[in-house]
Amino acid sequence: MLMLGGIVVVHLTTIILLLIATIDNAWWTTDALSTDLWGRWELVNSAWHYTNLKDYPEEYLQAVQATSVLACIFAILSLFVFVAQLFTLPKGQRFTFTGVLQLIACLCIMIAASIYTAEFHANEDGAYGHSYILAWISFVLTLLLAITYLVLRKKSE
Amino acid sequence: MLTLVALASLLVLATVPEPSQAIVIYTGWERHALVGTEVRLSCSFFSWRWTSEDVTFSWTYRPDGARDSISIFHYTGGVPYVDNKGPFRDRLEFVGDPGRRDGSILLKNLEFSDNGTFTCDAKNPPDIVGRPSSVRLLVFEKVPIQAGVITGSIIGAVLGLLLLIVVIYYLMRFLVARRVFSLNVSKHGKKKKEGSQQRQLWTPPPLTLAPRP
Repeated sequence: MLMLGGIVVVHLTTIILLLIATIDNAWWTTDALSTDLWGRWELVNSAWHYTNLKDYPEEYLQAVQATSVLACIFAILSLFVFVAQLFTLPKGQRFTFTGVLQLIACLCIMIAASIYTAEFHANEDGAYGHSYILAWISFVLTLLLAITYLVLRKKSE
Repeated sequence: MLTLVALASLLVLATVPEPSQAIVIYTGWERHALVGTEVRLSCSFFSWRWTSEDVTFSWTYRPDGARDSISIFHYTGGVPYVDNKGPFRDRLEFVGDPGRRDGSILLKNLEFSDNGTFTCDAKNPPDIVGRPSSVRLLVFEKVPIQAGVITGSIIGAVLGLLLLIVVIYYLMRFLVARRVFSLNVSKHGKKKKEGSQQRQLWTPPPLTLAPRP
């Protein structure tokens, strides 16, 4: 019972972290800038202004957007499938479908973060913001959860 | 009876007011083109009158950000006059057919400075009251990708693929369970011969001839 609750809590936390990483525009920050994936916040005369992203490689930006959204979708989907499998899986079986979906979510967020690291802000001053860090943390958490689901067996009593 | 109908229709036609004499000019709304290529700016008009011999077409150009427009093309008296001094000299060609109410021009060798608004004004005497129509020209270095097209297509493709895989998986399980397919699906980890398994588990449906009365 405790393990079940723990797994669900970790899964929910992962989903929340993924959502923050995708939605919050803070993949790259400087003192007066907080940007990506959807827009850019610039501090001009002590007021924050939101503008569109420009002068970016369009295809890579849209690929990062798509894969991070897909990671969120698959993580949420795997939670629903886990709850469904809790009731429908025959005893002694593994939660393979849940594990596979979680693995795909892990793959997607890894692709998103990797493309972002490789293609953007190659020679600029600044630092990676909290969304970027959360993306990598969610990668680790989704990987652990996927392995857990693929190894875990439903109680056969 | 027929003469009555003919007289009545003549009366009706005589009282119908003359159609409004406005000429309606059609151009595109926006044209996109790559730098160095050519683009055809089309212009045609609708008029209640027959196309007269004195039909005129004129094109004017206003660069992006400028306030004034300059004249770059005029067709009158059956003769087209193209720009020979302005920004489009040697790059403008008349490709329209005034007899068919088409006053289109062709711009060749586009440059970035050609971004702007092109206005076509056509007159079909005595039908001269009308509003000129404008088309905006956008010159690109490469064809731009619209925002979100790649994002949406990646998301849609992956989700569609997942749905397809799930549907195929459940379909295969359903078909194997109904024994439409005979797969070597073994429950105990050992492969059984297909033929023997079939003979044991599959009984042929009863085929009997109708008994003779």
